[in-house]
Amino acid sequence: MSSSAATSGLELLEGSTAIARAAITAGCRFFAGYPMSPFTGLLESMARLLPGSGGVCINAQSEIEGVNMALGASAAGARAATGSCGQGIALMQEAIAETALNETPLVIFNMARNQQDYFQCTRGGGWGDYRTLTLAPKDIPEAVEHTQLLFHLADRHRIPTILYGDPLIAQTRIGVRIDPLELPPLPAKDWALDGSRGGTGHSRQIWTWAMGKATDPGPGPDRHWQAIAEKFERIGAVEQRSEGFGLDGAETVVVAFGSAAKFTAHVIEELRDAGHSIGHFRPITLWPFPGEALARATEHARRVLVFELNAGQMLDDVRQHAADRSAVLPIGGVSIHESGLSYGPLLDVPVIRERILAAMRGRRRLAARAGLSAGSRG
Amino acid sequence: MEQEVLIAGIGGQGIQLVGKTLALAATLAGRHAMLAADYGGEMRGGPSQATVVVGDAPLRALPIVPAVGAALVMHDRFVGAVPERLRKGGLLLVNSSVVDVDAERAARYAYFELPAIELARELGAPAAAGLVMLGAFARLSGVVELERLVEAMRSLLPPYREQHAAGNATALEAGWAAGADRSATAAAG
Amino acid sequence: MSEVIATDRPPEGAADRVAEFRPSLIVGEHSLCPGCGEPVALRILLETLQELGIVERAIGVVGHGCYGSFVRIMDVDVLQCLHGRAPACATGIKRVQPAAAVFTLQGDGDMVSEGLAEVLHAAARGENITCILLNNGVFGDTGGQQTATTVLGQRTKTSLDGRDPVSHGHPIRIADIVAGIDGVGYVARGTVGTARGVARTKRMVRSALETQLAGKGFSLVEILTMCPTGWFVGAPQGPDYMEQSMARAYAPGELRVSLGDER
Repeated sequence: MSSSAATSGLELLEGSTAIARAAITAGCRFFAGYPMSPFTGLLESMARLLPGSGGVCINAQSEIEGVNMALGASAAGARAATGSCGQGIALMQEAIAETALNETPLVIFNMARNQQDYFQCTRGGGWGDYRTLTLAPKDIPEAVEHTQLLFHLADRHRIPTILYGDPLIAQTRIGVRIDPLELPPLPAKDWALDGSRGGTGHSRQIWTWAMGKATDPGPGPDRHWQAIAEKFERIGAVEQRSEGFGLDGAETVVVAFGSAAKFTAHVIEELRDAGHSIGHFRPITLWPFPGEALARATEHARRVLVFELNAGQMLDDVRQHAADRSAVLPIGGVSIHESGLSYGPLLDVPVIRERILAAMRGRRRLAARAGLSAGSRG
Repeated sequence: MEQEVLIAGIGGQGIQLVGKTLALAATLAGRHAMLAADYGGEMRGGPSQATVVVGDAPLRALPIVPAVGAALVMHDRFVGAVPERLRKGGLLLVNSSVVDVDAERAARYAYFELPAIELARELGAPAAAGLVMLGAFARLSGVVELERLVEAMRSLLPPYREQHAAGNATALEAGWAAGADRSATAAAG
Repeated sequence: MSEVIATDRPPEGAADRVAEFRPSLIVGEHSLCPGCGEPVALRILLETLQELGIVERAIGVVGHGCYGSFVRIMDVDVLQCLHGRAPACATGIKRVQPAAAVFTLQGDGDMVSEGLAEVLHAAARGENITCILLNNGVFGDTGGQQTATTVLGQRTKTSLDGRDPVSHGHPIRIADIVAGIDGVGYVARGTVGTARGVARTKRMVRSALETQLAGKGFSLVEILTMCPTGWFVGAPQGPDYMEQSMARAYAPGELRVSLGDER
């Protein structure tokens, strides 16, 4: 692009391209995926940019092949990634579980069509006692940071990590800078396969069952899977991330994630300016869910409103952690664009504002009529 | 201060190119820009809409913009979210070659019209009506300089369309000049 | 190497050593059934890696079947992968470590039933990897069910009266299919039922790995292996049974060769 862009350092990039650039900045050298909207732009960007950075991008023949290619590249020590939208990531679940259990780091880009993949990202669909660390950026600049962070966390913990994006992050174009994220150094991958120890009696092995070699027995499945479960428990404690504002003594707390949280935050700023006692809480990691922070944020809240573009998935986590479980009310819902590929009309400022105000009015009226405290279910 | 513009028309009118050119021109000028995603629609003939936001600090605008300060209406068959999203008193620039706006409605906005298709045809670049509109809008709104628009337009042209560069530049210039005229008229009126 | 036995004095006792024929890359006893052909194939593969001097850059990807337990006794770097996906994992490994000698070890259930798409696409991409198929026409690990390569008439636990094409479809001759794909450098089919077959198969495995090292594209060696347990015959009858059934349906020989004069 022109030299004048250098004055600000900003480049106008589609979100998918910005994420691809961030991945390469983070050292990603292998990418394999199968086209599917709105993930396709990321695959195309990787195909365009990775070869020039000494990497490889393969247009795989299926999501299953793509994720297993990435697993192989990671087993050989490369920073590797794959992606799709929730529909394609459904096909990858066996391999995602495998990377968790055989401890090959992997980054998965879920450029989702909407927010109906919350359960898929946070619960996973494979077998075994594992979780997938999931970051849900609210916009493209944050997705650029999260992408780099996810490669770091995947390597640090030797786990699969997920970026939960969406069409707004994938397809919006915005002036951004791809600044390398400052992250602490990581130990060398002495577990990665390179063949060099073949014939020494100490050749390497990556195996979900961790039985080791006859000359060098491993812990075996029982101890290995216990250790994996304990590892995820530790990660769950240390990797929670969230942010919020206006939470101090707020009567109403709205909880939302991803792009939707950018919309709810916008509405809540307006409502606060209009004098309402309302705050905003955004989980940045969906797993681990920032439960302790949510409990603190909702300590004095009469109502906790959950806005998500699905029938109520994060709702489960909010109910589990909110100070008063019965104060939690869903105000989102399923809302799909007529193309099937993006959000429907629910993700819009006037609609969200109306839903929040209605919930605030409705609950107050209900409580007054029934002479109930905030303890009743709305 | 963020400036938002909603561009609406039908596929084939170059709506997305107009949006991209404006967003890139602002970026080349060192400003913050966003071009909101647009999905669906056929390659030609279906509704097409683009939203561009420009500012001097990291943008606060949402990727689905609730209200805009300006709108470019390219076709009467699809005006998109313009009636509901354009703020009262906002800049409304209409392609009068195909769009009629009644006086009552026009009075709600800072209203300008431009026979963009005729102008483009006269310039020998009939496919560049959208760029005529963009040139005029840039002049009327002051969002970005003509030189940046031309630079952005050139860098967006794929190699197999390079022969259109000169015609497109002429279209942007003609729009800019028309915008200057209307701006002067509005100031006088 | 075994130590030199002193001959300058009478023996202190009767000799208690037996000859050790195990290649040094096999570091433990296999746990498969008597009469199984798979350990023979493993030995062929590991000996060939040593003879080619590529042990220290060899990376194996092993699928799921009886041979999966070889991961414990083979002294080379190994990824134990998901059922059927070895060619995809091997692709990822080879693309980021082009100097490595990458091979897969897969059974017929793994490669031809579960993972048919992966092997065909790896072949069509001309990936410089070597896939070793251990074909015994039955799911051995799960106790004798029908796979995609079970020959017509063969009785399995899921084709009790013998594989009937009307009910169970026809067996897939994967080596013949792969041999017809552009981008493939070497395809052969061998057997380990006879000493001659073993010697011939070893030359095939060597040719396949040499094809990879020369960068000539995808290579596949299908090795017919005995599974007397899964065939419900006695261990000593395995080789003869194989000659009469599988080796007739799957004719041994080289099916595609591209190394020409260099060989």
